[in-house]
Amino acid sequence: MSSGSHGERKPEAELGLLDATMIGMGAMIGAGIFVLTGLATEIAGPAAIAVFALNGVVTAFTGLSYAELASAIPKSGGGYAFVREVFDDLSSFLMGWMLWFAYMIAGALYALGFAPNFLELLHVYGLAPAPGQVGAITLPVVEAAVPVSVGLAFTAVLLLVALNAASTAASGSVETIFTLVKVAILVVFVAFGALSPMFSTAEFQPLFPVDGSAFAIIPAMGLTFIAFEGYDLITTVTEEVKNPRENIPKAIFLSLAVTVVVYLAVVTVAVGTLGAQGLAEAGEAGIAQAATEFMPTGLPVIQNGGAIIVFGAVFSTLTALNAVVIASSRVAFSMGREGQLLPSIGQLHHRFGTPFVAILASAVVMLASVALPTKSAGNMSSLFFLLSFIVVNGAVIRLRRERPDMKRPYEMPYYPAPPVLGILLNLVLTSVLIWYLVQTDPLALVLSVGWILLGGLAYVGLNRYRSSGEASGSLADPGASETTAEPVPGEDD
Amino acid sequence: MTQDLNVIIVGGGRVGFQTTAILADRGHDITVVERDPEVCDAIADEYVATIIQGDATDPAILEQADVERADVIAGLTASTGVNLAVCLEAKEMNGGGIRTIARVERLGGEEYTRFVDDVVFPERAGARMAANEIVGGDVESISDVTETLDIMQVRVADGAPAAGKRLADVNFPTGTLVVSDDDGERIAGPETTLDPGKRYVVAVEPDVADEVMNLLRG
Repeated sequence: MSSGSHGERKPEAELGLLDATMIGMGAMIGAGIFVLTGLATEIAGPAAIAVFALNGVVTAFTGLSYAELASAIPKSGGGYAFVREVFDDLSSFLMGWMLWFAYMIAGALYALGFAPNFLELLHVYGLAPAPGQVGAITLPVVEAAVPVSVGLAFTAVLLLVALNAASTAASGSVETIFTLVKVAILVVFVAFGALSPMFSTAEFQPLFPVDGSAFAIIPAMGLTFIAFEGYDLITTVTEEVKNPRENIPKAIFLSLAVTVVVYLAVVTVAVGTLGAQGLAEAGEAGIAQAATEFMPTGLPVIQNGGAIIVFGAVFSTLTALNAVVIASSRVAFSMGREGQLLPSIGQLHHRFGTPFVAILASAVVMLASVALPTKSAGNMSSLFFLLSFIVVNGAVIRLRRERPDMKRPYEMPYYPAPPVLGILLNLVLTSVLIWYLVQTDPLALVLSVGWILLGGLAYVGLNRYRSSGEASGSLADPGASETTAEPVPGEDD
Repeated sequence: MTQDLNVIIVGGGRVGFQTTAILADRGHDITVVERDPEVCDAIADEYVATIIQGDATDPAILEQADVERADVIAGLTASTGVNLAVCLEAKEMNGGGIRTIARVERLGGEEYTRFVDDVVFPERAGARMAANEIVGGDVESISDVTETLDIMQVRVADGAPAAGKRLADVNFPTGTLVVSDDDGERIAGPETTLDPGKRYVVAVEPDVADEVMNLLRG
């Protein structure tokens, strides 16, 4: 791998403000809304509306931190790259490790959300029985029954991994079109839903589930927190954005604001039409089911208007899955380049020009994770995003204190309140989420702890590997043809 | 293990900025320390480096460039004194593992290599490029090496004294070395012929450069 002639194949800056905003919204509008609305309603009842609103507020503080860091540190590694600038090896390694996991599990979550919606789409056209009645495929080879939805999710991940491993990522403009289509479909959903007779008799009482209290909001916030992780995605492509100093902070805030508005409208309509009870029962396909209730039928070609929304759900989960396949491999790739994972993970494939090894490494975890229950995937992914974002807020504070003279083209207002609030609120959500996991989902908790421990092992192992490598003097020269002398690596390089 | 260097560039002016842009394109991590707020703004717009605004000779400022973690520091301001000072400060802060490069303002700044790992004299490099362009590709300096030795690629002109001759038959002045044969695949030997129209890599000491040019270009 030469960092001499074309370094990291830096693409030309070509993304405008719209593109950058859409990249951020792409993942958020994707699965969060279609997959998690039903699940959140299950926990919090009609208060799911408040859940999304509050999450928007909580995440806005971290959004400010991201905007400031992205404007000051011109790197396309997402939150990991910023933390790497500020913290020592171990902290930044853990941050990257957690963020990587968060994205991979998000991938599994989106794949798991894709499957029931896909079945629903088939069901609308009478090609398959209702999602609840689809059984399992028996695999003669392993003599085990695999649920159809898991098989579908697995296949979806496999396809998108193959796509991204063999060709460089879709350009920003494609992403923009995808996102606009998704938003348009949701606008149709909201419009028809709000006008439907079902909505006029909407029932938002009791606001909280019968057996719960206002406190039920918090675990639901934890579960759905992942729905707002899009600004990290924006910062994975910052170097490709035109006039980044202005556009990146703008894109972060815009994507957050628009996402919150869209979420609130959609959740309100979904709860209002299908009712909290029905929505909770429909689970991952909640929005799709709500749509089939009130969308006009007997249309030409598509027959059932609900199919548009179901198609939207399928399309959204797939595109969001694509986005996190790219995002997770970028985090792993950055870590590999920084020498915090095996060097091969930080290298481009000679033929495909993609971070091939990074994608494969991410794929292994993603494929294994589709066996998880959707809720566990949502919880775990949210947990790790929460933890990562705490570190990012910490990075802002530390940079302000240690490097007061660093140029910050965007400075957040009311410092230090936003990052401090961001840390506190994320901590609250984290602790409640962990408490909730102890009660209801020990599997997710065990896996999460396991991943952290695995990270510790990887870190120690890698340090050993590195020191043995350096002892034998295998440090390559920086590849720049003009450099004649070998660089002397720093102690912690 | 990574090939990406952590580089501190002191001085974001014309030389510093160009250097930053080239290195950033190659994927290295750059931190620029620059005194002038307007220059800082301009670099920030380009989005190629982290910027610390302030006087790099002030240790409190230099510290903020994260010297402990840097692999290389290059003092590229217009003032040799400042460049030397920041290199020495960084060496001290970093515990000595950092590579230091200072920009110097005059030829013969090489004695500074007692204190820094390498010196650059951008005006000379620029002048070589200008000279290459002026001569129009028949004689091109390839690189700056230590002191004043010049390595260039010369196209042998038709009718030049040495054109068509074997190296063994040409009496080059002392201080000349023809390095490569005509297609750049082999090291030149006594049997190598200097075919007109072909290019040869030649190393010359400056005081005999004109004679060598006469032999090869006529």
